[in-house]
Order: sequence, then structure tokens, then C-alpha cells
Amino acid sequence: MTEANGSTAKNPKVRVVIDGREIEATAGAPLLEAALDNGIEIPHYCYHPKLSIDGSCRMCQVQIQGQKKLAIACNTPCTEGLVVDTRSDEVADARRGVMELLLVNHPLDCPICDQAGECYLQDYSFEHGSHHARTTAPRRKGLKRVPIGPRVVFDQERCILCRRCVRFTNEISETNELRVFGIGDTSYIGTLEGRPLDNPYSVNVADVCPVGALLSSDFHHKRRVWFLEETESVCPGCSNGCNIKIGAFREEIQRLVPRRNDAVNETWMCDAGRLGYGFVGAADRIREARVCDDQGQQVVALDAAITAAAAALRRVREEHGAGAIGIVASGHLTNEEYFRLAGLARETLTTVSVDLAVPLGEGDDFLIRADKAANARGAREMGLVPGEAGRDLAGILNAVEAGEIRLLWIIGSKDFEAVVGTERALAIAGRLETLILQDVQPSGLSDKATIQLPGATWAEKAGTFTNYVGRVQRIRPAVHSPEGVLLDGEIFAALTGALSGRAAVPFVPSSVFDEIAAAVGAYAGLAHQSLGGAGTNPADVTEGVG
Amino acid sequence: MAARVVTVDRKAVEQLTGVLGIPATLRGLRVTSTHFFRNLWGWIVGRPQVRTVMVPEEHDPKPAAFRGMPVLVAMDNGKERCVACGLCEWACPVDCIHIVPAETDDEVERYPLVFDIDMGRCMYCGLCEEACPEEAIVMSAKVEISAFSRAGLLWHKDQLLTPVKTLERRLEHIRNDYGRR
Repeated sequence: MTEANGSTAKNPKVRVVIDGREIEATAGAPLLEAALDNGIEIPHYCYHPKLSIDGSCRMCQVQIQGQKKLAIACNTPCTEGLVVDTRSDEVADARRGVMELLLVNHPLDCPICDQAGECYLQDYSFEHGSHHARTTAPRRKGLKRVPIGPRVVFDQERCILCRRCVRFTNEISETNELRVFGIGDTSYIGTLEGRPLDNPYSVNVADVCPVGALLSSDFHHKRRVWFLEETESVCPGCSNGCNIKIGAFREEIQRLVPRRNDAVNETWMCDAGRLGYGFVGAADRIREARVCDDQGQQVVALDAAITAAAAALRRVREEHGAGAIGIVASGHLTNEEYFRLAGLARETLTTVSVDLAVPLGEGDDFLIRADKAANARGAREMGLVPGEAGRDLAGILNAVEAGEIRLLWIIGSKDFEAVVGTERALAIAGRLETLILQDVQPSGLSDKATIQLPGATWAEKAGTFTNYVGRVQRIRPAVHSPEGVLLDGEIFAALTGALSGRAAVPFVPSSVFDEIAAAVGAYAGLAHQSLGGAGTNPADVTEGVG
Repeated sequence: MAARVVTVDRKAVEQLTGVLGIPATLRGLRVTSTHFFRNLWGWIVGRPQVRTVMVPEEHDPKPAAFRGMPVLVAMDNGKERCVACGLCEWACPVDCIHIVPAETDDEVERYPLVFDIDMGRCMYCGLCEEACPEEAIVMSAKVEISAFSRAGLLWHKDQLLTPVKTLERRLEHIRNDYGRR
């Protein structure tokens, strides 16, 4: 049996019977994990798949054949022939008792609690609790909305002391800010004086908190969760590619939360990524196309600006040759868009001076990568690299200063400014005949643009990102672009059409990806549909590991 | 049975109903003028025959079960009971409620910064009232919503706030009705 399933002696498979259903589990793994993985729901608070076993909530008690007392499923290792009952009257009684005790001091302020709607206390109270309180004593008062850290709000009354947050700071962030103070009935979660909950992963405690005790300050009193439309996507903050869900309400992003992907981010994400969505709906976002004439920059319709950009590209190419055109892109476009851009640069413009500007920041050995671009690896794999005898970023900058490059097309000038430095970027803008910017966020260069095209953000696009190890993951549109703004891929398609004189090919990400799969070796055999929720690493597939 | 097409001469129908409408109008006029003269006579001799309610200055009291337009309950200090939980917004079948929550330093930390009801959309179903966990939105006896523009039909928080003592009967009624005791 074990050989047939390819398991080794290290993790032999055992057979466990839960509610009359025989399931196969890894020997020694928590019974609760085996049940959950097989779709058998056992209520639990303190158990978390990525944290150590605590056994403090007693909610996951089950009846095990041959044992007199109920056992907690989270701390029961799977062994051969275990027969478990999760639905007996005794189990139901135990659950009702646990719920009653947990709710004795719960403030029941669900109407003002951000967790309401995704709260385990609410869910299990409906499913397993009794619907009436038997206590008449006043509920214990606690501290409300304590700013326990710069990005987390704590409500002591709602806490059920499951210690998930404490274990998170011990085991995952390894910063040990949170601990349990006091004993017995009067214990509470807190921080030491002068050591607030302030680490790069602090808001994850709000995710692990099964109730509304720890909440994200950013999302606090913002929007009820049942109004959110959640879209599976990938964080654009750095090249790690953490899986996320974008929660949007009426075309506005309300929050980002991590989505479990054991191959990338487990169930975590960093605070910078989580709170870094503000630029999507920012007031100063670039929403208009501009073209510079004698009187300065004028707001024009986007197609007029695209026509102007095509004319400028054609003119410079005819007058000075393809070598006078340089393209610098940021690392935030999708693979599909890079593929179209690379095709445009290589085949239509025949320029070889193409490179990326990827700003570097702080990184660590957990999730945060130093290169702050979601898809720099994808860009290079799509062919956005200096061609033969072409110029890289440094070469492009020198060529502009030497007057060899007359037209620079920058996609994402904020990244360009960060990499090159404001002073040099401005000097370079001054040396150019034509500066085309394709931007979402304004930068120091925005005023210098000859032609400015508004771009779209990752939250508005469908497509794929390739993270730093080569894992190809899908992003999906959560909101619409502002009116009159095209996706960057659509701009590339329109420009290709205008420059080649042929009708523009509509930009359809999934069919572009099919072209990528046919053209780029590493992506062979992939398709949007086959990537699934967790993405695929082509290297794993070819080696037969994944 | 096979479908049949009947061609209707609309002009003839209109003329016909016009002719037929005259006696109907006269009948109606007879009723109203009878009342008018009977009342006039009663007023002259000091014995009114028909009770008159001077709407809109006066209104008949409505039964507690009457569902007029939804209003926000104002507590004695003039503030709303509402904590902007959003359940009415969710329950509303015609999406006529719009709430923007905000935080305050009061004991109850959350309140509606914006609470708008589009009375042009509201269909007086009372689901908001049933969903409310705070008895903060109730169906009042008010029915007069006329306005000169659509914008005028959008009632804001300050217009919706109604003193709690004028709503006691309805509150008592819904406590019985929804078994909230």
C-alpha cells in the first residue's frame, strides 16, 4: 500500500476512520489536519496549519474508539486503525460547553466588530453553540481598541486566548512581542512596555486571530466584509509573488489579505505588501493622456496620444535610425504585456536598447525580496533584454547623455527615477528630443514628458506574473481602470498596429499566453487555465517534482 | 389553439371611451358635489356630516403596524443609535441605503458618518428594520416624501433622525413582532 502511493519510510501512510469514512493520513500528523485536508470539518480555534500545536481552546474534541474521555484532534497523532467519531452526542455536548465558556465574557459587539462575517466565534456559535446565555453576571470589562502596534488594533474583551498570535510572533516573525500575562480567568494578551507589536509581518496576527481581538488598523471600521468582492491575485510589492486576495467594494480596493500557497508564502504576507495598494485609487494617479505642444502639456484623448507616440517613434526611427530609440520598462507589467512589448521593440521598432529599471530595497530571508518588482524575471524571460549589441540600462543612460538616443520611452517613470536618481533622471530628460512616459504614478519626470500615456495597475489586469524562482502565477482584475485608461497591453497592441500599418490585434491575455507557451521554451505546455489557483513552476513540472 | 391577430382601430376605441367617459365623469361629480353640498349645509347649520382631516397640517394616527418611510432613531442626546454595522444595507432588496462608517471616541466606537436613504427607491418593505440589531432604524408613520428633484429624494442622516419618543409605539410593536423581548 505504501509503495503504491510513493510514500517513504520517513512519512508512512496510515489509515484512519473518521465518521465511518476511511481516509489515508501521514503517520504522526495531527488528526485535525488529516480531517481538514479530507474535507471533514472539525471546529477549532487555536489550531493553525502553520503554527505549533497549542491545545488551548478545546474546541476540536472528538471521540476516539477505545478511549474513555474525549481527545482533542489537534494533539492526537494519526496512527494505524484510529477510529474517530466527530458527531456523537457527547462531542456535541462538549462543543456546546466550550462555546458557552468562550462566550461568557464575550462582549457580543458584533455590529461594530470588523471580524463579523468571517468570525469563527459567530460561525461556531451558530453551528455548535446554544443560542441562549445562562449567566446573568455582568460581562468582564477589558481594554478596547488598544493600538498594540502601529498597524494592529487590539480588543481585549473579544480575545479567547487561543494564543495563535503569540505563537505567530514566536515562531514566524520571531520577534516575541506578544505574550500572555496573568493567570487563569484573568489572563490577557499584551506586549511589554516599550516593545509594541512592530515587525514587518505584524498584521498577520489579525489574520490568524479567529475572532475580532486583533484587527488591521488599515481596515478598521472601513467596510463590512460581506460587502467585499474578493479576487485571487498576486502581491505586486516584490518578486516573491505572495498569493493574495484583493477585497474590493464598488471599484475601490479595501484590503489585501494573504491566500494560502505552501509553495510561496504559506499563509503569510508582509505589511508593506498588504498596505501597498494605495496607489491604485490615489488622487494623484495619472488618469489622463497628455501631449506637449508649444504651450506646454495639453490633456488629449488617449488615442490621440497613442497616435502622437507612434508618429514620434516613426519619425525618430526614420531620421536617426532604430538605435536612437531606447525603452526602459518597470518590473510591474504582466508576462503577456512584456511579450507584446518585446515583440514591438524587436520586430516593429527593431531597437535593441531595451532594459528594465528595478528598484532595490530592503529584503529578508523570509518573504520580502530586495528587488521591488513583481515580474522582473518574467520580463526577462519574455525577451525584454538588451538585444545583440544592444544597450542595457547603464548603456541607454550613457547613450542619451552622448546624444545617441533621441527618444526614450519609459514605462513606470517612478521606478526609473528611483533607480537612476532624480537629478540624473531630470538631466537625461533634458537631453532628449522626445520623452514618452507610460505611468500610473506621477514622478519627477512627469512634467518633462513629451507624451504621457496613463497606465493601468495590476489590480485592473488579467495575466501572469513570474516570481523570482520562476513560478508562473495568475493575476485577475479586481477593479476596473479609470475611465479612458487602457491596459498597458492594449496600448502596446494599438502602437504596434499604428506603427506597422496593420489593423491592431486585440490584446487578449489568455491567447497571448498561448503564444508565449509556444515561443518561450520554459513556458511550453502551460496555459492560463492549467495554472490553477497556486500557479506553476515550469522547472518543477519538467523535473517531475511538482 | 392557433394564435389570432386582431387589428384594433385605436381611434375608434378612443372616441368610444371618450363618449362613454362622460357619464362616468358625471357620476363621479355627482358623488363629490353631493358631499360638498352636504358638508356645506352641515357647516352652515353647525352640524358637520363628514369628518375632514386637514392634510398635510394634520394626520390621522396610524396603527403601530403601519410601515411608512424608514427613519433613524435619535436618542435623547440627539445622536443616532446606529453603529453603521451595515446589516440594513445588506438586507435592503433595492439597495437604497448607503452608509459610510467612521470611528469616534465615544463608548460605542463606531457611527455612521454618512447615512443616506434614497426614498425614490425605498419600497417600504421593512427588512432594514428587521435586520437592525440596535433598534436604530424603524418604519415611521411618515409617508410624504415629495420633492422637486431626484436629489431631494435622497434623505441624509440629519433628515432621517427622529426623536425616540415619537417612535415608541412602533418600537414596542417590532419588539413583539420579531420576538426580541
